[in-house]
Amino acid sequence: MVYEVFARKARGEALRHIGNLNAPDDALAAVYAFNTYDEEKWFDLWVVPRDRMIEAYNADRAAAGGA
Amino acid sequence: MSAETTAEAQRADELEPEVRGAVRDLILVLADSKRLLGTRYAGWILGAPELEAGIAAASMAQDEWGHARLLYAMLKDFGEDPSVIEHERSAAEYRAMPVLDAPPDNWPEMVALNVLVDGALTVQLRAFRDSRYVPMRQRVEKLLEEEQFHTAHGAAWFRRLAGAPEAVVALRGAVEPMVPRVLRWFGADAGSALVLEDADVVDGQGSELRRRWLERVAPQLALLGEGLELAGLEPDFAGFDEARRRGQEDGDGPDEETIRRVRGDRNRAFLMD
Repeated sequence: MVYEVFARKARGEALRHIGNLNAPDDALAAVYAFNTYDEEKWFDLWVVPRDRMIEAYNADRAAAGGA
Repeated sequence: MSAETTAEAQRADELEPEVRGAVRDLILVLADSKRLLGTRYAGWILGAPELEAGIAAASMAQDEWGHARLLYAMLKDFGEDPSVIEHERSAAEYRAMPVLDAPPDNWPEMVALNVLVDGALTVQLRAFRDSRYVPMRQRVEKLLEEEQFHTAHGAAWFRRLAGAPEAVVALRGAVEPMVPRVLRWFGADAGSALVLEDADVVDGQGSELRRRWLERVAPQLALLGEGLELAGLEPDFAGFDEARRRGQEDGDGPDEETIRRVRGDRNRAFLMD
């Protein structure tokens, strides 16, 4: 399963998308995120399964007359 | 206990000689164990079941080697030369946990080491949290903080393997012989362990650390179900070498090839200092 990874460097900053990873479950996804994206000292780090992200708008599809 | 014996020690030479020797031995046990555990993790940077697990293995290896380096450096306070300790000892002089002597054969065995052995070292390290020996007390929190991710990694993988019919047999096969060896590793309620507890250097020893460890790994062991066959929950300490934390059945030490790699023998000539 693909997970998208988000992080911020300081409390109060906006969450920023920093990458993705493959993991079989939520628990390992959280561990892998910490190990894989450790180039910065984060304030917090989040993972979300890609298939749980809901597209709210897409410019290409809107220009083509909607999905 | 007198106020004198419980006074904080900023340096090793402020500890009573008997206590000082026991602290030095325990730091070396922890350092060697972490050096070897790091080497075992490193063996899976390539060949783990998924790329991310290899990255996690690399990260844990780096943590363990960092901890070992820090612990070896602490031995300076005891009059040791950390460079000699790190590079000039034979396999028979290593004090690493006996279950680390040989590399794990398969990934379930690595996961068992992650949960049981990394967990045991953390239990032993945590016993220094309120230590009267200040240099150790000051360093232990940082090490324990890094260990949280090793714990999370082990727990997540253990659950995954325990839930897979094709993996649970191998996992049980790795865990069953390992548990009694780790239990014995904590040692008897006697000798230098007793000295350390009485001197308020650690807050637990032997059977108390065994109890803490069993409590810690109970959720994982429970996943293996009723069929788990654990022999020797009450360790036999006949012939137990206290300084090396090694029983008669544990063998002499890590294999020489492992230690050659740990010491960095092959390219020692390039250590130009």
